[in-house]
Amino acid sequence: MKEVPIIEMKGIVKVYPDGTKALKGVDFSVKQGEIHGLLGENGAGKTTLMKILSGMLHPTEGKIYVRGKEVRFKSPADALANGIGMVHQHFTLVEVFDALHNIILGMEGHGLLSKINVDKAREKLKKLMEDLNFRVPLDVPVEDLPVGVQQRIEILKMLFRDVDVLILDEPTAVLTPIEVEELFAVLRKLKAEGKTIIFISHKLNEVMELTDRVTVLRKGEVVGTVKTSEATPQLLARMMVGRDVVLRIQKPPKEPGEPILRIENLWVKGDRGEDAVKDLAFEVRAGEIFGIAGVEGNGQTELIEAITGLRRPEKGRIILNDRDITGRPPKELYDAGMAHIPEDRTRMGLILDMTVTENAILGLQWRKEFQRWVGTVDWGKAKRHTEMLINEFEIVAPGVDAPVKSLSGGNQQKLIVAREVSKKPVLIIASQPTRGVDVASTEYIRNYLVKLRNEGKAVLLVSADLDEILQLSDRMGIMYEGEFMGIVKPEEVTTEEIGMMMGGIKYEELNK
Amino acid sequence: MDIGSIISIIVTSLMAMVPIVLTSVGAVWSERAGVVSIGYEGVLLMSAFFGAIVAELTGSGVMGLLGGIATGIVFGMLHGVLTVYLKGNHVIPGIGINLLALGVVPFGILAYWGTAGQHQVTVTLWSWQTKYGKISPMIPVTIAIAIITWWVLFKTPLGLRVRAVGENPEAADALGINVEKYRFWSTVYGHALAGLGGAYMSVAWLGVVQKAMSAGRGFIALANMVFSGWNPLVALIGGWLFGFFDALATWLAPLHIVPGQFILMLPYIMTLIIVAGIIGKARPPKWDGRPYKRE
Amino acid sequence: MKSSISDLIAAFNFKALLESLIAIVIGFLIGALVLLAFGYDPAVAYSALFGGALGSTNSIASTLAYSTPIMLTALTFAISARTGIFNIGAEGSFYFGAIAAVIFTNIWANMWFGLAMGILLGALWSLPAAFLKVYRGVHEVISTIMLNWIAWFFVFWLVVGPYANPNDPNKTIRIPESARLPLIGNTNLSIAFIIAIIMAVLSYYLLWHTVFGFGMRASGLNPRAARYGGVDPNKAIIWSFIIGGVMSGLGGAMKIMGEPPTYAISQGMANVYGFGFDGIGVALVGRNHPLGIIFAAIFFGMLRAGTALMQIEAQVPLEIIKVIQGIIVITIAVPGLYDLVKNVFKKG
Repeated sequence: MKEVPIIEMKGIVKVYPDGTKALKGVDFSVKQGEIHGLLGENGAGKTTLMKILSGMLHPTEGKIYVRGKEVRFKSPADALANGIGMVHQHFTLVEVFDALHNIILGMEGHGLLSKINVDKAREKLKKLMEDLNFRVPLDVPVEDLPVGVQQRIEILKMLFRDVDVLILDEPTAVLTPIEVEELFAVLRKLKAEGKTIIFISHKLNEVMELTDRVTVLRKGEVVGTVKTSEATPQLLARMMVGRDVVLRIQKPPKEPGEPILRIENLWVKGDRGEDAVKDLAFEVRAGEIFGIAGVEGNGQTELIEAITGLRRPEKGRIILNDRDITGRPPKELYDAGMAHIPEDRTRMGLILDMTVTENAILGLQWRKEFQRWVGTVDWGKAKRHTEMLINEFEIVAPGVDAPVKSLSGGNQQKLIVAREVSKKPVLIIASQPTRGVDVASTEYIRNYLVKLRNEGKAVLLVSADLDEILQLSDRMGIMYEGEFMGIVKPEEVTTEEIGMMMGGIKYEELNK
Repeated sequence: MDIGSIISIIVTSLMAMVPIVLTSVGAVWSERAGVVSIGYEGVLLMSAFFGAIVAELTGSGVMGLLGGIATGIVFGMLHGVLTVYLKGNHVIPGIGINLLALGVVPFGILAYWGTAGQHQVTVTLWSWQTKYGKISPMIPVTIAIAIITWWVLFKTPLGLRVRAVGENPEAADALGINVEKYRFWSTVYGHALAGLGGAYMSVAWLGVVQKAMSAGRGFIALANMVFSGWNPLVALIGGWLFGFFDALATWLAPLHIVPGQFILMLPYIMTLIIVAGIIGKARPPKWDGRPYKRE
Repeated sequence: MKSSISDLIAAFNFKALLESLIAIVIGFLIGALVLLAFGYDPAVAYSALFGGALGSTNSIASTLAYSTPIMLTALTFAISARTGIFNIGAEGSFYFGAIAAVIFTNIWANMWFGLAMGILLGALWSLPAAFLKVYRGVHEVISTIMLNWIAWFFVFWLVVGPYANPNDPNKTIRIPESARLPLIGNTNLSIAFIIAIIMAVLSYYLLWHTVFGFGMRASGLNPRAARYGGVDPNKAIIWSFIIGGVMSGLGGAMKIMGEPPTYAISQGMANVYGFGFDGIGVALVGRNHPLGIIFAAIFFGMLRAGTALMQIEAQVPLEIIKVIQGIIVITIAVPGLYDLVKNVFKKG
């Protein structure tokens, strides 16, 4: 007799209001008590599919069955009532509440107008934490807790609701390797208790290590479902990317030249007043790509903001071409030869409600070549410039007067790269340059960074994508809690060693 | 200043406190749920008008107050639909509501009572006449409303959910809390309290309907809300302070020590100074004034 | 020139234009229901309203005269709105512009001096809110509301006190004849209207054709990206307040210097009160676009000019136009109004 899957999704189609077809008829099924990996690149539709399963989104078409019974979720409450809970990539915690109140929110257990009684909840949570052997401070506002702990609160929140199916969206993105191991131990324990787990990831190793079966999504379609024991990383990678060759970047050897950017004993504070960058020192030379690797949130953002004039450093100096630029405003830095591809495309790199042309001259608006007379913009010239960028960088855009939000993510990112390169810089700072960008655009952008390096520009690359750093960098610094654990050449270290450094072990200590 | 004057200033300030505190507490609740409104000024004015009509039609001051609440509910629902369900801008509807009130009330006074600019309300709420001035039962009611609202907001599941919805609607949504429902009814509650405050002005306190009788109280209430750090209890005390200044200005005016205009200016200058000094500490709810969309 | 004309057309969003028209229609429809409810005949009222606004050269002049101050206060709101600020402080700057004209033309009876001082005081009065916003994080809606009241009481004191007319103590002293704005032709319309149009066109040029205006709009749409793009959003905010103050101060000064026969601030400041708030409505109907504002201001001016005849012929209180304006603004606050109406028509 064939067992009934706990989750069965049939023919799921999702069209977003803006017309994007995120899912094109997906069939997906999960067995009771397994850890099921959901693998795919950025934009493959993994999160959308799971948001539908957890009641956050409504499918445009398709049916969902839980334990063989058709269900229709109007909201996450319906999914929770059916024992399905999801831990989102961006945590959904009320930051000013403590863990306890975050967890009991929505099932306080009394009448709406009676006094909240937390004793029972505290009891249950203590037992849960003991069983799983992980601890969370229950009475501290969650905004004061590190992300790893916040994630545990999210998991507890779901277990407190006695879910049978736990969905985790890229849970390891914010964790150190050690925390990842701890998380996996918890997930295995949950599986042993009979829970079903759906694990969304784009990391092959993790999927290979943890899951029982894997479903691979590509561009809103299912490529296939395989038993992990019968799969290889190569097979999964092929299914995920859709071609055998993973991105190959041609990078001829090159002797670096003079130092362009020098960072000396830099201290930068984060938003909460903590020391985000601690006494950092390095230099980026002409004709070199210097990569900064590390788990996100270890001070990379603050470092880049300090260098690009968006955040005032506490101590130390930043020197561009022998000129002290510490604490200078962005305009001055651009005039001094800096270009900056920011990590947050839609919130910093572009003004989505402005046109392609307006975005193409953002940060260049005062340059003579776009002026009719002093202080005025010659839109004719600006448009010709934009058309030139569109041609040169093969940007797909409905027109120079179209709002930039009508472009796809990849083309938006290419527009940013084009604009920054058109500043004719000596130093390019590229922060997560290919995040959320389609494969073709990624390849284009990576090759372009190498081209800039070959032309003798200095490139500072920050990326959470380790492959990207390894492929592009001439030298790389591995950042952990505001410090470099080591500055090494990619070919001199193994992936394991990098992983150790990302987890906070210094390079010198590695071989002892 | 003798003891009698002091008592009468306090009595006057308690009377003046009522509309400000009710509106502030309502605004605190609504903003805790994440909905901003600047239409309270118009709601005060219109509920003063409609409250008086209801009081005269039914012959009951209490019914007049209920009429004010109903007026508040209508505009709260309007604001709620526009901001919560249609995800519109939170400030613009208030500008429209205030403009509307400036038309509806003078037009209504003329069209309904046939008098220009002002109408003496014939049915008012009972109040205790003392030699220090009249004392309305609405004073203890207002204090009770502020305290109960505080208790519900910070001690009960309902309050927890309202605050969650204003701080992080995504989190609340993911746990099955209907964000739109909580936001909508919070908006309605906020405007209903302002409606009660407006009807109090015409039916219980001043006994008249005038075309400019709200006199900026809807806006003072917003300043007081910020001053309170979005806390109904502090808003109660703050509202009394604003009432106290109001009373002091009225008391000092005939003495001609300084031009009357300068005394009347005082509460506004104080508000500005207080708001400027305190804003660093007072943190608005994180999603205050931002529509929440799931997709 | 070719490109700037096409820009101009592109900047005029037709959907936004249609939404404004829909809102106006709804405003009149609901206004008609209110009139019916109180026993007036909307047809009579409205035809008197439009007759009074457009029926003769004088009524047209009156329409344009009424449109002048609200055009300028609308620019105050719109320029700030484009910079991401909800500046409702036009009212206060308007009072100061008016009293500045009274005070300074009586020191030196020169039209340009009067206008300049109106502009200066209007701009100065915009500064507290600007600095409170940038340096103390005080929300501009709160601060400008307080500042409007402070301005009201302060100017009121000047009107009934130091600058009261000894012969008519409820009004201020009058603008000297040599400092009054010239009238156009044989009408009561002064050149204030032309100056207001020029200011609207200049505002458009500033916002869409200068580097500075680009920075202001960038700050308004996305301050983080603007900062990244080398613009200082705080500077943009401060300047948007100042330019806004200039517009309202000028509006207040011209209201007094160009309005026959009074040429003074009248009893209870009745001829300077409320223009700032009306301007917000004008700005919203004009979709915060300086060129849209010209038309929206003339439309609001029509409503106001027509009330005189409407009161005489239909005995309708003039406040009905505030009801209509309020409904129009509330309707404009409905997001996706255009699509909503389109769907209704499709179904129907």
